[in-house]
Amino acid sequence: MPKKNKLFRFRAPFHLVKRNDMRWWQALLFRLGAVVVGLLLMCLVLWIMVNANPAAVFSNLVSGCFGSQRRTWVTFRKMALLLGVGLALIPAFRMRFWNLGGNGQILMGDLAAIMCMYFCGAAGWPNWAIILLMIPSAILAGAIWGVIPAIFKAFFNTNESLFTLMMNYIAAGLVTIFLGAVVTSGSGTLPMQEAGHFVSIGGNDYLLVILIIAAVLAFIYVYLRFSKHGYELEVVGDSENTAKYIGINVRWSVVRTMALSGALCGLIGLLLAGAMDYTITADSAQNMGFTAIMVAWLAKFDPFAMLGTSFLIAFLDNGMASGVQRAFGITNNSIGQIVIGIVYFCIIAVEFFINYRIRRNHPTLDVSVNAEKGGK
Amino acid sequence: MTETRLPYLDLEHISKSFGPVHANQDISLKVFPGEILALLGENGSGKTTLMNMLSGIYRPDSGSIFVLGELATINSPKDAYAYHIGMIHQHFKLIEVFTSLENILLGVPHNKKEKNNPDSYDKGSAKDAKKLVTKICQKYGFQLDLDKKVYDMSVSEKQTLEIVKTLYRGADILILDEPTAVLTPLETERLFRVMRNMKEDGKSIIIITHKLNEVLAISDRVAVLRKGECIGSVNTKDTNELALTEMMVGKKVELKIDRDEPIHPTPRLEVENLCCRNEFGREVLHSVSFTANSGEILGIAGISGSGQKELLEAIAGLQRTSQGDIYYNDYDDSEERIDLKSKSAAQIRNLGVRLAFVPEDRLGMGLVGDMDLIDNMMLRSYRSGKTQFVDRNAPAALADQVVKELNVSTPSLHTSVRKLSGGNVQKVLVGREIASSPKVLMVAYPTRGLDINSSYMIYHLLNEQKKIGAAVIYVGEDLDVLLALSDRILVLGDGEVRGILDARKTNKSEVGLLMTKQQSAPKEEQEGAAHA
Amino acid sequence: MKKHLNFVVLVLAAATLAGCNNTGSSSGDSAASTTLKAGLITLHDENSTYDKNFIDAFKAACAKKGVTPVIQTGVPEGNECYTQAADMADHGCNFVFADSFGHEDHMIRAAREFPNVQFSHASGQKAHTLKLANFHNAFASIYEGRYLAGVAAGLKLQAMIEAKPETSTNIGYVGAYPFAEVISGYTSFYLGVRSVVKKATMTVTFTNEWYDETKEKTSAENLIENYHCSIISQHADSWGAPTVCENATVPNVTYNGSTESKCPKTYLISSRINWEPYFEHCFDQLANKGTIETDYTGELGSTLYDGSVALTAPGKVAAVANTEEKLNDVAAKLRAGTLHVFDTSSFTVSGDNVTSNVTVDAEGHVTSYKADVDPDTANTADTEVVEKDSNGKSYIAESTKRSAPYFQLHIDGITRIDNTKQN
Repeated sequence: MPKKNKLFRFRAPFHLVKRNDMRWWQALLFRLGAVVVGLLLMCLVLWIMVNANPAAVFSNLVSGCFGSQRRTWVTFRKMALLLGVGLALIPAFRMRFWNLGGNGQILMGDLAAIMCMYFCGAAGWPNWAIILLMIPSAILAGAIWGVIPAIFKAFFNTNESLFTLMMNYIAAGLVTIFLGAVVTSGSGTLPMQEAGHFVSIGGNDYLLVILIIAAVLAFIYVYLRFSKHGYELEVVGDSENTAKYIGINVRWSVVRTMALSGALCGLIGLLLAGAMDYTITADSAQNMGFTAIMVAWLAKFDPFAMLGTSFLIAFLDNGMASGVQRAFGITNNSIGQIVIGIVYFCIIAVEFFINYRIRRNHPTLDVSVNAEKGGK
Repeated sequence: MTETRLPYLDLEHISKSFGPVHANQDISLKVFPGEILALLGENGSGKTTLMNMLSGIYRPDSGSIFVLGELATINSPKDAYAYHIGMIHQHFKLIEVFTSLENILLGVPHNKKEKNNPDSYDKGSAKDAKKLVTKICQKYGFQLDLDKKVYDMSVSEKQTLEIVKTLYRGADILILDEPTAVLTPLETERLFRVMRNMKEDGKSIIIITHKLNEVLAISDRVAVLRKGECIGSVNTKDTNELALTEMMVGKKVELKIDRDEPIHPTPRLEVENLCCRNEFGREVLHSVSFTANSGEILGIAGISGSGQKELLEAIAGLQRTSQGDIYYNDYDDSEERIDLKSKSAAQIRNLGVRLAFVPEDRLGMGLVGDMDLIDNMMLRSYRSGKTQFVDRNAPAALADQVVKELNVSTPSLHTSVRKLSGGNVQKVLVGREIASSPKVLMVAYPTRGLDINSSYMIYHLLNEQKKIGAAVIYVGEDLDVLLALSDRILVLGDGEVRGILDARKTNKSEVGLLMTKQQSAPKEEQEGAAHA
Repeated sequence: MKKHLNFVVLVLAAATLAGCNNTGSSSGDSAASTTLKAGLITLHDENSTYDKNFIDAFKAACAKKGVTPVIQTGVPEGNECYTQAADMADHGCNFVFADSFGHEDHMIRAAREFPNVQFSHASGQKAHTLKLANFHNAFASIYEGRYLAGVAAGLKLQAMIEAKPETSTNIGYVGAYPFAEVISGYTSFYLGVRSVVKKATMTVTFTNEWYDETKEKTSAENLIENYHCSIISQHADSWGAPTVCENATVPNVTYNGSTESKCPKTYLISSRINWEPYFEHCFDQLANKGTIETDYTGELGSTLYDGSVALTAPGKVAAVANTEEKLNDVAAKLRAGTLHVFDTSSFTVSGDNVTSNVTVDAEGHVTSYKADVDPDTANTADTEVVEKDSNGKSYIAESTKRSAPYFQLHIDGITRIDNTKQN
């Protein structure tokens, strides 16, 4: 009998097995379970940090989102905006173009719209004319901001993630330059613009945004599912070689898709300018360009699944801010961010368990045991 | 047959499932010291899965593995090495930027030398390893340059390195997964010689293959797998090709390829002095000229990487050419010769050229893995219709037709093609390409990874296209098939045409010789350098 | 999976039990409506010294007056501010206060929607022209605090020169933006220093961020190394400058609170706006159904430490021994009106700095200065701010025409370095 090969001795206590057999409802249950586990962990952390009663945490989480008519509208509007940015991102993502520049594209749309409001308002244009100018300007500005990295990607094969990321900073810089140019004294804050406000539907400030995003949702669904463009970008995303093989102009597809992605981000910026903030700061995009990446990924780039993920994020954010933090007098935002992070972590981590099963290596069959027996 | 010897390896009632797929079911198998066992089976019959359990990549769901009569638990490749089991995978596990020696040493821990023992070595040290590896090479007849970087190596050299690496780590059982798939006939011969030497030394070898002639040439015993079950094992000397095929497929198979005489062959595709450089500027096609006739199958033979891929892609408009012309004639439609040179795939399509292409990389080029059958059928036709919207009705009908006519086994038309087996993927691709009733049909390695039945179905389809007057260009690796199927054979070597032979008059050794013949290539390079 | 479930149940049970012991935990939304309820909206959270200053004062004032506090941190200067203000009004707040300049327009929007709720805003400019009954501005004559801190720094500089005659008489100032609030601040600080050391000069640099630790650090380093500043002060919110000063052993005058705990060797003194008196004023008026001042300017208190403009105790190591005594003297004069920070005879303006809204006499002393007090988009210089007191002394009246600072003169002795070029 040859002696044991001594070169390799370490033995892992478990191994991973890929799952292929999970049904959609099982996966959904896993994900819901992750949310529940995340919320429980959140309660535990809040209990440790601010001595918060878990039941009160839950009730405040809910009341923070739905405690009044206004809060409910605010939650749904926030959800709509996140969904909107997510919808803007998925055509690019499905093409495997990792557009991390949502923030910049939103900001450019926002800036273009605010510039219309500022200059045309000063020139005394009527409201409807300003709005008519704002819409194409914002959409075009966002589209340009999306197209620039797309062109570099398509023709010079630059890394789109880094490129779009850097474009965010340039956009923020442009906003600062604009503010510096038009606000010469005071604290550098642009006053709320009076001209170019969008109409509120029946006196409701929130409905317009929600309806527009609903329309975007329908558009994106149809675009991705039924249009030739949507089909092409999916082919490009899967394999550029396949795209070339069937004669798709890959460069044009990349540029066109990013123009759409940027244009929709610009639309979000337009809504921020004309229907919500009426002013702009370098932080106006409120990092939605990044948050929406999570909305999109968690939903596996499915427009309707994003309804769920955007709601979840809006719920956690608003529930935490207006509900829990206020109720327990938490004045340190880090606490809110930590506990929301814990929930996100659980939601993301569960994907691992949906894809893999952890199996223990049978200790009873361990060779060392048998070797001992053999030795006797 | 009763065995009194102690088997080195004894698999008992091994089962393994992936989700609903039973890859291995209740397989029992023995391997004795000093024998070469051929594991024969069609693609997807579970050969590789079974061997992966021996080498610690998968774990059996049930059943036991005994090594020299002792129950073994193999959780990782490390464990496998602890039992002196080493596997050489089809896709080599080498670090490209490392040298041979560095690859061999990778992950091998240092051990203490025994004092006063000149035969004691530290396996982890480069110096001792060099001595030991040289010894191994001499013993079995390997040729290996220890300081050569992997990226400079030919496939055959890489394989040699993998085997030496495995031996160095102390393997007494070697598992070779389809080792000859990437080798030329000559290299295969050399490999077999080394395998016999190892066998003489008392090592056991399991060779996974689906090529019957190789099984008969090298193995002592054959174990046949079919659909995850072990059909049985026989001594090689007691069996023959037909019997093995029957065991493999489960029914009698007619191993015959029809070949009719071409009907009214007229030049359909004329390639003249085609030159082509790859992305690094190296010339991959050098002045290639040939004519493909209608109603004829033109076989293209050559060692892999001789320019086959570039040639087909240049014709299909996917590869930039540096020189030469490609003319397409369709005397049924018009008298005009169409120059395809430097035209993109889209331009060629818009010229009305009916060119179908089944590329080598099915999921990376021919199909979209994540899309379902219908959407894949749509790849060629999605542009039809004036609206901005796609029409899925016609592709759905086509998908349905392909599935029925070519016997594609799929859960539904809405299954993504990535989930289908290799044979079914190929049927979907070939089915789609043929559906466009092409005038030129180019296929690259269409039966790679396909079972015998599927392969013969593909040959049959190609013959049908030939009958209805298409010019078929068939790039293949199996010389027997090339000789049986083609009307003419073009032999490519190093991007040049080495010869165009009449397939009815030539033979395997003539083609093989042309393939491997060292052309005056090095000399030409020198000349080129001198000119420059 | 079962094990996981057990764990979850355990956690839930433990949390519930813990909750039972803790039923007294506050719940802002369910408080009784008989007591007053007040809301505070802050731009960042307590990790920013600026916002912490508001939060602490608000909590203290609420506790003192028995008002229920509702605090919302991290509210950006956009629609969110209006939403939160309106939400606070929805939920029964009688008073809502926002702490950042950019909140103002959004607070006004909420004020229009909720006429029965009082809204107030720090550092804003619009209340005195807007004439909206329930919208107010508040600030403090912080330039007096800075002047006092400057006096303390002057004393230190003098001591340093006495100990080592070759000491540089240049001091440094890390400002956030070149806005009135900052300009007014560093000028008063400089005048305070110069009231002790006549030949002192000052170099000012701007970070163009309210909170950027790295920029504040590099700016302070730059001032110390390249401009040989003997003392550093700052008007920015991070620990950047104090940390650098502590490492380089350069005395440091801070803003918004003492840094003595972390920088014991170099902390001199700090000035800040103490918002407690203002909040108490508001709560008192609410309780008595009185009116909150439209444009409130907080002032020095009876001591150095209890007014709206407050100092913190001078550093035990760095500050000169009799600092407190001297400051009390100066503060008494400021309170009495016999000393003015921006006494026109104490500084000169020359060259390009004499803009069209400024007139100076032959020596460079300002005789007339129109400042931009009323908010408008064109930033017109609309109000004459040079005044004479009963003794005939001419001075620039800061924070009297409105609470937020408007002094923007570039006086001689202060050099501003352009950061954009330097970086």
